[in-house]
Amino acid sequence: MYPESLRDSIAIVDATREKRKGEALPKLPGTETEGLLRRYHPDYREAGFRNLRIGANRGDRTTHEIADLLEAFSDLDHSKINLDPEFDTDVLVLGGGGAGVTAALFAESMGARVILATKLRLGNSNTIMALGGLQASVHGDDSPVRHFVDTLAAGKFTGKRELVKTMVEDGPAIVRWLLEIGVDFDRDEEGNLATRKAGGITAPRIISIGDYTGLNIMKVLKDEIRKGEGIEVMEFAPAVELTTNGFGECNGAVLFDLGRKRHFVVRARAVILATGGSGRLHLQGFPSSNNFGATGDAIVLAYRAGARLEGIDSFQYHPTGVMFPDHMVGVLVTEAARSLGGQLVNAQGERFINELETRDACSAAIIRECEEGNGVRTPSGKVGVWLDTPLIEETHGTGFLKRRFPSMYRHFMRVKIDISKRPLLTYPTLHYQNGGILIDETGETTVRNLFAAGEAAGGIHGRNRAMGNSLLDIFVFGRRAGLEAAKRKYNVPGNVTLGHVYRYYDRLKSLRISSVATSPTLFPEFIVSKL
Amino acid sequence: MKNSTKFIIVELEGRKIRIPQGLTVIEALWDTGYDVKRGIGCLSGLCGACTVAFIEKGSTKVKFGLGCQKVAEEGLNVIMMPCFPSRAARYAMEAMAHPLEELGAHYPELYTCNDCGACNVCPEWINVAGVMKFAKDGDYEAAASRVTDCIMCGLCASRCPRSIAPQYVALYIQRALARERPFPPNLAKRLAQVESLAYETEWSRIAAMGDDELKALCAAMEGL
Repeated sequence: MYPESLRDSIAIVDATREKRKGEALPKLPGTETEGLLRRYHPDYREAGFRNLRIGANRGDRTTHEIADLLEAFSDLDHSKINLDPEFDTDVLVLGGGGAGVTAALFAESMGARVILATKLRLGNSNTIMALGGLQASVHGDDSPVRHFVDTLAAGKFTGKRELVKTMVEDGPAIVRWLLEIGVDFDRDEEGNLATRKAGGITAPRIISIGDYTGLNIMKVLKDEIRKGEGIEVMEFAPAVELTTNGFGECNGAVLFDLGRKRHFVVRARAVILATGGSGRLHLQGFPSSNNFGATGDAIVLAYRAGARLEGIDSFQYHPTGVMFPDHMVGVLVTEAARSLGGQLVNAQGERFINELETRDACSAAIIRECEEGNGVRTPSGKVGVWLDTPLIEETHGTGFLKRRFPSMYRHFMRVKIDISKRPLLTYPTLHYQNGGILIDETGETTVRNLFAAGEAAGGIHGRNRAMGNSLLDIFVFGRRAGLEAAKRKYNVPGNVTLGHVYRYYDRLKSLRISSVATSPTLFPEFIVSKL
Repeated sequence: MKNSTKFIIVELEGRKIRIPQGLTVIEALWDTGYDVKRGIGCLSGLCGACTVAFIEKGSTKVKFGLGCQKVAEEGLNVIMMPCFPSRAARYAMEAMAHPLEELGAHYPELYTCNDCGACNVCPEWINVAGVMKFAKDGDYEAAASRVTDCIMCGLCASRCPRSIAPQYVALYIQRALARERPFPPNLAKRLAQVESLAYETEWSRIAAMGDDELKALCAAMEGL
């Protein structure tokens, strides 16, 4: 339930709804969008960034939080670790989300022995939190080429063309695979895959399963991985370092057994990093929609091993993260709420941006409103703007929100907020790491035998990701990485060493870089915000 | 710490303790020094990792929920119960011609269900007993359409006196139904087009374009 102070503000939203209903807000011309982003988007807040002093991306710009981790020592005493491999396998997959499980399944299908290690439970990932859907060009008016063009445009033409082409071309085929393993996508009356439009997409291309798309795919993937004997799953065993051989090629990882509190080594012919993004680093103090484990481990491990990163100064702040109640801060309100006519409204009851602008522009506009004093303050001091959900209900008929967004409806009913009658207070939430470890079309990084897939990988989305493209890329590049990694099963892995780490440390020391941070982070330092 | 912070007394994992008001069960555990990792996932009520059992002050009934969503109130007595054991059958669905007909072979315990309703503790408000009844009676479409929101937390399985795991039974039905549906015509058409290289000329045209030409093409497409 909303407290008194917010109810007054809600009254303004209610009073202005009629007036706003028919109001058409034009889209911003390109130059104005550019200005808006430069002034208010967190990616352009120079104080939040610095240039890396070490490694393959020396001189490149990234946020302090990530630079701190990349320019850090591990809290691991490497000299005390027994590097004799406790396990030996063909393919080691790190990460148990959509990309990791897909990679493991495809590697196994090629006859490789696979170990999948994950920090939390298998399936605990951002994949299950992908509510809206997945982009695949299956509609008659659509084509892979159109998908390609939309993706590049959304990413401001900074995505790697060959990666984008790979993703869009594989799209329909990966959907076929998902159907084959028993994913039940929503259909229309003729049995076609039902498609919808979204912000920045020129054809109906989002396919979904209710508003629980990622969750329902992950359920099937987890069920599928259980069937065979070829994949050994190690839960609660995060990777804390990669290992390399004398040639600097990746040949395994040091894992940490969270239960026994001891390190052990898995040797492999190829390693696939699929440990996701970095939302839980709470860059620039932003709330995050990410799961508990998203602490950017992949980029830290890969960087020390010498891999090149791409676009690590670009992050997606999803415009509508929940700001009230406190325990739901950062949780996502799906973009579909805006696609279906939910308006963003400030404290004065005015709209301030066309809600169908790209995510970065909407976020920047919300931040502008809040910085200019047009935001709404909660009792605990957080500021946001209203997302007028009752308007959606009014437009589409009574019961629509409950039917179309059952999970969101329920989550708010638990705290006695009826989203069909009351708007939601929202503010941008750190949602996605646009960049990551640079990969090629097979998913391989610049370090031999080291692959990356999913949010950990970079180069696909450029400086802004369109809705539904991440749920696509995890399967496309998970599959490709799994297939290519499996081919390395006849490799001679060589000696397991931490030579790359020692070399990295020597560089840090010679540059007189001392850091208080230790990395990888593994678990976020949780600050209970109410204290 | 703000002076205005109100405190409440709760019983966490059998330990009576004073905590600030407004914390979820997970936050309260962290706040009081429990290094909880095993029961944490998305922190958004979607992953089903943080199941809890609790009794509220003055209540006689044990209730169930998710630790990241349940806000602690005065007198709450709560424990975490993540990873409650449920049996998941092992099967290769692609090897079955009609997986729905084999449901009973993989989950025979389903047919011992006597509709006691004990499983109706779903944090996603699914009528689990109803779904099991549909499953038992062979109305698989009705069963599947009600479990899209299942987060596999397994609370229902923890209550079943017959050791049925409704979440896995439902998942089996969802997968089996999806496999038996006819292949979507729009996808079939697109796959055929891709296979016959229908887009190659367009691709080679685009490959030759510089960024500016491509931008112009994008602008033109958006106008359509």
